[in-house]
Amino acid sequence: MTTLEAVREETAAEPVTKRPPRRSARSHRRTGLTALLSVIALLMAVPLLYVASLSVRSRDDVLNGGLLPSHLFWRNWPDTFRAVEVGHYIVNSWTVAAGSVVLTLLIAVPGAYFTARAGRRGGRLATLVLSSYCAPPVVAVLPLFYLLRNLELNNTVTGLALVDGLANVPVAIWLLDGFVRKVPKEIEEAAWLDGLGPWASLRRVVLPLIAPGVAAAALICFFLSYNEFLFALSFAQDSSAQTLPVLLSLFQGDKNVEFGQQAVVSLIGIAPVYVLAVAAQRRLVAGLSSGALK
Amino acid sequence: MTARSAARVPGALAAPAVVFLAVFAAYPLVYVIGLALTDSTLARPLQRWTGFDNFRTALESQSFTGSLWRSALFAVLAAAVQLVLGTALALLLRARAARPGLLGTLLLLPLVTPPVMVGVAWKLLLAPVGGALNGVLHALGLPGVNPLGSGTGAFTTLIVIDSWQWTPFVMLLVYAALLGVPDELREAAALDGADRSRTLRSIVLPYIEPTLLSVLLLKLVIGFKVFDIVYVVTAGGPGFSTTTSTYDIQRTALQEFDVGGAAAATVLFSLLIGLVTSLVAIRRKRYEEVAV
Repeated sequence: MTTLEAVREETAAEPVTKRPPRRSARSHRRTGLTALLSVIALLMAVPLLYVASLSVRSRDDVLNGGLLPSHLFWRNWPDTFRAVEVGHYIVNSWTVAAGSVVLTLLIAVPGAYFTARAGRRGGRLATLVLSSYCAPPVVAVLPLFYLLRNLELNNTVTGLALVDGLANVPVAIWLLDGFVRKVPKEIEEAAWLDGLGPWASLRRVVLPLIAPGVAAAALICFFLSYNEFLFALSFAQDSSAQTLPVLLSLFQGDKNVEFGQQAVVSLIGIAPVYVLAVAAQRRLVAGLSSGALK
Repeated sequence: MTARSAARVPGALAAPAVVFLAVFAAYPLVYVIGLALTDSTLARPLQRWTGFDNFRTALESQSFTGSLWRSALFAVLAAAVQLVLGTALALLLRARAARPGLLGTLLLLPLVTPPVMVGVAWKLLLAPVGGALNGVLHALGLPGVNPLGSGTGAFTTLIVIDSWQWTPFVMLLVYAALLGVPDELREAAALDGADRSRTLRSIVLPYIEPTLLSVLLLKLVIGFKVFDIVYVVTAGGPGFSTTTSTYDIQRTALQEFDVGGAAAATVLFSLLIGLVTSLVAIRRKRYEEVAV
């Protein structure tokens, strides 16, 4: 008998009467852990709660100190929209992120199928793609700056979507590879025996099975592009293609005391990401952890 | 998959990824080396062969050589802090339940927050006048502080901010690995008389060590890329105390327009990253060999 079997037998042999007190001890512990983790989550929320509080405080109210508004000052919101064309930047951010996701998936779905299924050739592609992720993105800044200018895509939303779409390919392949590997090979081999070619079996058999993974990868790549700053700052030098992070960065530097407006722009940028993340929490968690468990 | 079926996977499926590698990896690498060895302006690249002049400029630049060291220090410290905190959070979350639940998602939110917004939130929080930190200190009758006023303070603050953002990432990956630890192993250890901390040290952590090393490697790579919070919170200052390489290179290229110097700096910076990450990768490789 192995140790593990012995353990199972021991647990099985345990008298049933022992259970209730143990379970209650366990549930106490669970409540305690929930309380502890909730406190940690609340502490971690402090910077953002402070931003939310700043967004409804007047300048004097901010400078007087204190964590909470002494009275609600909603004027920051219309003032911000009057001071900068926030809507324009929101549209840019969303267009760049959505466009980049399409490009990323067009490259990464077949790519991940290849890395997962093509044996040694697939392994070689995976190694190359992952090592490209190790290089810092700043390597690409100057070369892509000249490339975009030659294509006349500097300062355009299209150019930025192209760059972000390419930049996220390694992450997407890394995530999707795990999902493809979980598809039983037998299903696919049966499809091949039935006369489906590899392309058709990818489209009609594998793709429906990895749809949750594709959704997770799309979500994560959307966040990455939406949050991206280095390329947006470097390739969008006038407002025509600038995104929300670039807009917010423009508030910095010159001794800016418009705390309220900075807070408003921050919240406008953060809110959609949080809504998406909570709405799709299962996908997000499954997607992120699939990469890790390889 | 059998060798025969692997051979049936058409190479054309890899074609888009190969185009990606050509445009986003090979071309930038070759082009940046070309820029480093020539004289360029933003308007006209690759004017005249200059040999190693740009490398000399980069190495003599006061901001750049220091930035290499600061980038490495930042990547290592941030990865270490986040690995410890993230693992601790993951253990708590796992001890609570086998599903992360809504609480897990809430703890994950910093990860998806745009880093520029993260930087601004912390900058407002720490502002000497009107910031929440000093507001609380004054309310308690304590003198105010300005963490961003000194070099060490600013560097430490950036690590705190980065950890706020990235600890949830480590937490999630370690949590996923913890779900893979067989219950039997824990129970067997308990039967052998191991208490909780002994089980953690001798069973659980060794079991997930390959994941911990992968996460460490990933976090080192990500840490070297830090740019957004430096740009927003400290702008590399005070002095050069928080000027990391990515920040220095971006500024040299697109604000000072010294293209050759920035390109040479990029090449040197990439070599440093390659060196540090391959050290961890070699250690990790050993596990894979044992596992196979």
